[in-house]
Amino acid sequence: MHSSTEQPDRRRFFSGVIAAIQAAIGGSLGVILGGAIISPGLGRRQQNWLPAASLSDLPQNEPTPVTLRVTREDGYSQTVDRRTVFLVRTDDTQVTAIDSTCTHLGCRVSWDPQAQLLKCPCHGGEYDRTGKVVAGPPPAPLARMSTRIDGGQVLVQV
Amino acid sequence: MAPLKNLFDWLDDRTGFRAGRHHLLDEPIPPGTGWWFTTGSILLFLLGVQLITGIVLTMYYVPSTEHAYDSVRFIMDRVAFGHVLRGLHFFGASFIVIAAVVHMLRVVVTGSYKKPREVTWLTGVVLLLVILGFALTGYLLPWDQKAYWATTVTINIARTGPMGEYVAGLMRGGSALGALTLLRWYTAHVFLLPACLIGFVVAHLYLMRRHGISGPIEPKKGRATAFYPYHAIKDTIVVAAVFALLLTFAIHYRAPLDAVADPSDASYVPRPEWYFLSLFEMLKFFPGKLEPIGTQIVPALVVGLLLLLPFLDRKRDRHPLKRPIVMAGFILVLGGITGLTYRGLHDIPAKTAPTWGLLPTAGAQFTQDEKCTSCHHVGGAANPIAELRLTHGPEWLVSHVRDPEVIAPGLRTPPSGGMNDSQAKAIASYMKKIQAGVKPPAVSTDVQQVAEIFGRNCATCHMIDGEGGSAAPDLSHEGTKHDAMWLKDWITDPETVDPGANMPPFGERLSDEQLTTIAGYLSNRK
Repeated sequence: MHSSTEQPDRRRFFSGVIAAIQAAIGGSLGVILGGAIISPGLGRRQQNWLPAASLSDLPQNEPTPVTLRVTREDGYSQTVDRRTVFLVRTDDTQVTAIDSTCTHLGCRVSWDPQAQLLKCPCHGGEYDRTGKVVAGPPPAPLARMSTRIDGGQVLVQV
Repeated sequence: MAPLKNLFDWLDDRTGFRAGRHHLLDEPIPPGTGWWFTTGSILLFLLGVQLITGIVLTMYYVPSTEHAYDSVRFIMDRVAFGHVLRGLHFFGASFIVIAAVVHMLRVVVTGSYKKPREVTWLTGVVLLLVILGFALTGYLLPWDQKAYWATTVTINIARTGPMGEYVAGLMRGGSALGALTLLRWYTAHVFLLPACLIGFVVAHLYLMRRHGISGPIEPKKGRATAFYPYHAIKDTIVVAAVFALLLTFAIHYRAPLDAVADPSDASYVPRPEWYFLSLFEMLKFFPGKLEPIGTQIVPALVVGLLLLLPFLDRKRDRHPLKRPIVMAGFILVLGGITGLTYRGLHDIPAKTAPTWGLLPTAGAQFTQDEKCTSCHHVGGAANPIAELRLTHGPEWLVSHVRDPEVIAPGLRTPPSGGMNDSQAKAIASYMKKIQAGVKPPAVSTDVQQVAEIFGRNCATCHMIDGEGGSAAPDLSHEGTKHDAMWLKDWITDPETVDPGANMPPFGERLSDEQLTTIAGYLSNRK
């Protein structure tokens, strides 16, 4: 058998060519397979304006729970999420939408009319009517969603 | 780089990987070993590509009759590089069959199966069967028309053999081809066969190293060279060329995906993939009771002869011209397979251009109705109909069109009622056509009017050009039986023509103009 020391240049050249070709093949496969694996995770969730309530039905300054049915792409199928948001009518032209998901561990908060607070049943997190944390472990205020009013209908962006 | 060197030194000290690498790469290659000895590497590379593309495909594929088709469609249309990924896997299967045959051909021509490499040859034959098993089981997985009907034929072929019903039952998993069949073929494709493949590939490579590469037929003088890089360069160049070709196929051509499997569509003519075409074609030579000869005996004989080859041809001579019987036999078998495949490729039943008859034309009109478009529009509760893929069976579609709320109760405000059975059939027909990629032709207002009348009133019971109901006579050639005047009278009130008629009168449902139009149209259908 020829030893590698007999033709070091030839051996080095062949090794380089092999490495380059293998890198090209590996790179091509890496892009295709990697792209296929990663891509769905990078997809942006489509946002829609959904009708949530009639403006005239909302009491002033009191969070009113509304369940929105949000259809979203779920891989090869479609899933319908039922998402509860609190609508707070602050004046005749302004409505705030607050997500009902507690920012601590994701439980659903509910409005306590006695205490005038949004309370989380899991670990005692409490928020005021604007979603600001007033007590308990939540690290951040409740998420807000964009709203607009169109012909007396309150639309929420989800 | 010292820390890296230290790490490798530490690893080498514990594992001895450097010695292992040298053992693998410094394999002595006999002088004169040429390019033909790269076929095994091509095959190994292609099997590796199948393995990794298969793993990524299983991240998206769902082995259920409800979701398999949708998930494959999702891979093709929505996953980044998804069609290339499936293309690599789909066309890779054909490449592997070709590479396996070429590799086997090289081994036979150079007599490399001879002592002491008999067992290497046997593992190779088993690997060929495993590869064909992969091709067979993979075929069903997309759950499209081709998958369903080709597998139906495969299972029926299995029934012709001894204990045929038991074998077919084992293949089906249930009493009919369905969810259980798909699951067990999937299990075979992704668990059982890969386990066999890896086991036999390891055994094949181990034996190849144990006995060394057989090298040229006439040993050349000189010293052996190390596999790496002097033979590895040839392997790498050939593998790169094959990969470039495979990638071109995968990018340029979309791996086929028919309409979703429809067990009620008996008009579908199944055709196997090209590598099984010779078997399919051979059956035509063994009709009736002779069929098992084509389905079982001939294939078993070929496999048996392949397995026995190194024990039948035991002389040491490797030159092909000095082994006339083996070479003649091999050429005969290979020629037979090639001839049958060629015949099969040219024996494709004439594909009639997909027609766009009255019913789908009517269906296209009905989908414009507000009952559909109130939900099916861009940004609506459901996607626009023209963009939908028909992923449910015809019964589902008909029941959905007849009463949309049944399918998705409470999720949206249902449109004001459904459509009648005739219209539902028309929409199902339209969906099927656009699913198959047939573009709707521009039709005259007259044809549109006839289509609308037929689609709304007649298709529940009557058929035209193979589409519609079968409870009443086929109207495709009605003009050969009756003229327009008779037809108009009949449609207006059949009992005035024949008191025993059991067709309902349409005189009150259709205007005089509509009656004239439909009667005139039918009278022209000769």
